[in-house]
Parts: sequence; structure tokens; C-alpha cells
Amino acid sequence: MAERSVSYADAVAAVARAEGNLDLVADELFRVARALEGSDELRMTLSDRQIPAARRQQIVEDLLGGHASDTTTAMVSMIVAAGRSSDLAGIAQEAVEINARDRGRSVAEVRSAVALTDDQAERLAAALSAATGHQVDVKVVVDPSIMGGVVATIGDEVIDGSVRHRLSQLRDTF
Amino acid sequence: MSKRLWAAAAVVVAAVALSASAASAAETVGSCILDEIAAAEFEGIEGDGFTAAKNLKTAYEAKVEGAEELKKDFEKDLEGCLEAPNPIIPEVTEIIWGGAAFIVLLALMKWKLFPVVKNLMEQRTQRIQDAIDDADRQRAEAAEVKANYEAELADAKAEAARIVDEAREQAGAVRADLQARAEADIAEMRERAAADVEASKRQAIADLQSEVSDIALGAAEAVLGRSLEDPEMQRQLVDDYIASVGAGQD
Repeated sequence: MAERSVSYADAVAAVARAEGNLDLVADELFRVARALEGSDELRMTLSDRQIPAARRQQIVEDLLGGHASDTTTAMVSMIVAAGRSSDLAGIAQEAVEINARDRGRSVAEVRSAVALTDDQAERLAAALSAATGHQVDVKVVVDPSIMGGVVATIGDEVIDGSVRHRLSQLRDTF
Repeated sequence: MSKRLWAAAAVVVAAVALSASAASAAETVGSCILDEIAAAEFEGIEGDGFTAAKNLKTAYEAKVEGAEELKKDFEKDLEGCLEAPNPIIPEVTEIIWGGAAFIVLLALMKWKLFPVVKNLMEQRTQRIQDAIDDADRQRAEAAEVKANYEAELADAKAEAARIVDEAREQAGAVRADLQARAEADIAEMRERAAADVEASKRQAIADLQSEVSDIALGAAEAVLGRSLEDPEMQRQLVDDYIASVGAGQD
């Protein structure tokens, strides 16, 4: 991960700790990053330096106002105003990692073709914790491109149980 | 040239000598006839000697009886003078003249002709000997040339045989080399052809497998696509994943 993203994530974590809501901010930031991933138009708009920073901040505040905490809205607005919206996914990922480390846990980015139920998320977190030997926080990303199943990424380790992966293995077998 | 002139002169002298001998023989016949005429006397004819002979001729021409027989008898007597001398023993004078002429001729020949003839014979002999020697020398030279030629011919034949053998050996080596190269090329071409065939076969199999896999995977994806539209199927997949992670499988 880029050093700059780590530094921004450290700053976000420091502010959130000061506000006493790091867990919430990290989760909301992760969700914002996922939403940004899913919208090319929004991503391009927030990255467009031709648009004044105040205007971009206004767009962020309009989108997140009432849906996210003030801290999260302020952090995202600050990142967009600094012209680092393209690094938002990395910053969010690092913030989640920092939050998990603060609580002695690891973060598993879980991609699924459909949204997981709370029960499935809990069972998956328990299964991943058992598999890795330490507590795991699950961050779910809905990714229809994997067709079905789940892909879990914990640090450098990837546990791929997607239909896309199975088809790829089948293709390689042929 | 002078020697030949001397030889001709000797021949002329010998001829003169022989003529003198013949002349001496003629005088002997003449005196015989003269004696017969001087002693001639004929019955019924007047006179004697030459007169009697002359009167006999007149009587004969006048065809006096008996004159013809007398004339024939007288002619027989005269023809008796013309009879040949003894074929074995010549006249003494003839022997003397002939001997003298022979001696003169022999002396002349011995003095002039024999040395010339001898010289000519010696020169001729010398020329012949020179010719023989020259012929022998030429024969020897020819024999030497022939020997040299035969030796050179033998050397040439040997050289030709050696060249032919060498060329044959080289041709054999070249043929063997070409044959080896051709066999190597053929083997390489066969290997390459076999490799090409094998590669083509593998490629065809791979293409076929790829096509088959594409068809199979396409069919599988189509079937899966329809199945994955079912939320229950999606839930089941997630549950299976959770179960496999919990069981320590990926």
C-alpha cells in the first residue's frame, strides 16, 4: 500500500480515536470506498480537478449528510478536497486495518456475489477466525463478477471459493 | 674427277691395243689371198698370177665354156684364206700383240685405274660404313629415344593409373560423404516431419480440447448462470464456503 495512503489512514484513525468512534468511522469509510468503487461517474466527478474543491466537498456532504457520522463526512470531504479521492479505497482499507489492530483483530475483505445475511457474516467471521487462529472482522463487498460463492482476503492470504474461480480452475484443467 | 679421267684414258688405250691385234690378224688373211692370186694358173686361160685371175674374170663374163667352173674353184681357194684360225691356239703375232696390249693395259690400270677404283671403292666403303655407323648411331639414338619414350610412357601410364586411382578414391569419398549427408538430411527431414506431425497432432488435440472445453464451459456457465439467479443457490454457495473454511478447506 502506498505510503501516502497509510499516512492519510493514520490521520483519519487519529481523528476518529480523538472522537472516540474509530470503529464506526472505519466501517463507514470502508462502505464509502465500496460505493465509490461501484460508481464510475461519482469517482470521476470527485477526482476531477477541474471541479472546484469546495464543489466536490459539497457533493460529498450532500451524499453522506444524514447517512454517515460527521467525522466520517469530514474525513471524506478532506480527502476529496486534497485531491486524493482515488486513494480513498486504500485509505479506508488501512483505516479498517488500524481499527482491527487496535482491537487485536484482523480484517477480512469478503467479496460475495450477493449480500450476506448477518448470520452468514457471523458464521463466516467465526470460520475465518478459526482458520487463521486470530479474531477476524469481516468487511463484505458485493461483487457480482465472482458469479457466486465468496472470496476472502486476509492480509496476503486469499481464500477463493467463488464460482468464477471454480470455472477458471475447470478451464485450466482442460 | 681426275681419277675418272684417268680411268677413261686407260679404257681408250686398251681399245687401241685390241684394234692393233685385230689389224695384225687381217694382214695374215690378205697375204694368203695375195699368195693364192700370185700362184693362180688356169687350164685354158692364158697367163698366170694376177693376169690369169684377170683373164678368168673376162672369160667368165664372156661366158666361155668351162670358165664358170674355174671361177668357182678359184673362189673356193680364196675362201680357204678366210677360214677361221684355230679356236684354241691363236696366231703367234696375235699372242704377242694381245699380250703386249694386256700388259700395257694392266700397267695402265694398275698405275692409274686401280688406285682410282680402289680409292673410289674405299670412299664408297667408307661412305657405306659411315652410313652404317650413322644408321647404327641413329638406331641407337632411336632405341634410346624409344627407351626413353617407353619409360616416359610407362611413367605416364603409372601416373595416369595413380591419378585414376586417386580420382576413384576421391570419387568414392565424395560419394560416401554425399550419401552420408543425404542420409543425414533424410533422417533430419524425417525427424522434422515426425516432429511437425506430432506438433500438429498436439496442436489439433489442444485446439480440439480447447474447443471442447470452451463448449463444455460455455454450457456449464449457461447452466450455472441460470442456477445462480436462484437466491437459494447463492445462499447455499455461501454456506458451503463457510463450511469449507470452517473445516479448514479452501
